[in-house]
Amino acid sequence: MNRLLSGRMQSRRRASSRHAAQSSHRRRSAALAVAGYLLPPAVALTLAAAAWEAWTRAADVPAYLVPAPSVVLARLFGDIGYFALHGGITLAEALGGFALGSAAAFIGATLMAHSRFLERSLLPIAILVKVTPVVAVAPLFVIWFGFGSLPKVLIASLITFFPVLVNAMVGLRAVNPGALDLFRSLAASRADIYIRLRLPSSLPYLFAAFRIAIPLAVIGAVVGEWFSGDRGLGSVIIVAHSNLDMPTLFAAILALAFFGIALTLLTAYAERRALFWHDSANGL
Amino acid sequence: MRRPEPNPKPTEVLPIVSISVANLSHRYYGEDGVLEALRGVSIEVAPAAFVSLIGPSGCGKTTLLRAIGGLLDAETGSVSLGGMPPAELQRRKAIGFVFQDAALLPWRTALDNIRLPLQLNRRRNANAAASSAEDALNAVGLAEFANYYPRELSGGMRQRVALARALVSKPDVMLMDEPFGALDEMTRQEMRYELLRLWERTHATALFVTHSIPEAVALSDRVIVLSARPAEVVADIAIDLARPRIESVERSSRFLEYTYRIRDALSVGVAA
Repeated sequence: MNRLLSGRMQSRRRASSRHAAQSSHRRRSAALAVAGYLLPPAVALTLAAAAWEAWTRAADVPAYLVPAPSVVLARLFGDIGYFALHGGITLAEALGGFALGSAAAFIGATLMAHSRFLERSLLPIAILVKVTPVVAVAPLFVIWFGFGSLPKVLIASLITFFPVLVNAMVGLRAVNPGALDLFRSLAASRADIYIRLRLPSSLPYLFAAFRIAIPLAVIGAVVGEWFSGDRGLGSVIIVAHSNLDMPTLFAAILALAFFGIALTLLTAYAERRALFWHDSANGL
Repeated sequence: MRRPEPNPKPTEVLPIVSISVANLSHRYYGEDGVLEALRGVSIEVAPAAFVSLIGPSGCGKTTLLRAIGGLLDAETGSVSLGGMPPAELQRRKAIGFVFQDAALLPWRTALDNIRLPLQLNRRRNANAAASSAEDALNAVGLAEFANYYPRELSGGMRQRVALARALVSKPDVMLMDEPFGALDEMTRQEMRYELLRLWERTHATALFVTHSIPEAVALSDRVIVLSARPAEVVADIAIDLARPRIESVERSSRFLEYTYRIRDALSVGVAA
């Protein structure tokens, strides 16, 4: 990925003198690199699915216990609109909760990074929130906030809050002391120090938190759907479970795994774009 | 009390800022006791002079420099820059700091790093005399590297960018804390004369902290030798070598003589 990155930076620098042939060569080698990453896991996955398929057929495993991959895929793609609709709802709840939780955490971290008193008074409360299992409060949220999307969004935001809070707080404080001295020696305002120094310095920490928080937000949304409502992949799973409809249950899990991979790749891409200047952007 | 500017050409501006440190003492209170960094240090630096501070590791040189730059309030004593407290010069963006770590912002290109002092603290229009960031980058010979990010530059280049950043607001006082300490010997020697060339165009009053005796002699009008912690002035040696100086100055016998004198003063300071 390093090659992709330096290619982008070079092209920005020497846009006029860039040779088309060179850039297409670079693109081809980048494509090869991506294929190099994707090929081994794809082969492993295909082999595992083939073994699974062979086992269910040879041992004649009933579909209500373990459905064959072909049955699961047929269910998923035979009714792709259904899974896309419910998946989209779960995704929207997870991302909404993630955005809400991150925003609240970032505001909290900003306050705490500027005041030891606020840190001492708010951090214990945040830790209390963190150590309470979200599954335990989910039924409560359903009672308070009804059967719609709101309790799911709130559960996802609650689960997102803590990792983002802690990392943002550390990141906002982890500025290069020399750079801070420089700002102070120029009589920079607190706002300037915050916007031009602390905020960009915190980005690597923030993205590390996002990588943890985004899958957690999906968990939060699914757990919320288990408890109430009839929309989202979580409720699809619960209904399929009570009907012993294993192909649907597996298809829903597969859809969730797909969304998980998509979100992870998207986060990694955003991180590379935002942190092109940081050493962590070197590798995948 | 801004410099008079009859002519905008920077070489003809008369500097007016002296550095006056009176009886400065400072202690740090850590978890394992009190650390006395400075004890009654007094230093006078004439306007437009280049003075080096040399002393054993951890002797309090950095503390002294930070106190002079207004980054640290010493417990007792006073600092005056051209008759004003350091905070006033900070507001005028009249202090140019260079640190051992170039302390560039990694998300900014070389040119944007140099622009930073012009973007901060704009309310007083303090940088009326400032040059453009492009000129400052040209002056350190890195015009082609304007759009490079710090991690794409060598250590010497990063330190050149830091120098350009310190000079872009046309400071009256240059405070340098071992700026070449992390560079290899060859680059280090090259940077000495690069710094002299740049400084001679500004005639800012310069205070330079270093561990290197030849570096101190090559750069300075005066070398102040400090003792081991707590820092006290043990020697104040005037370096009477003609300016502008070029690399061959280091081969003269007078140069060597000065280095021996400083080495002797340093060993006295360590023994004391």
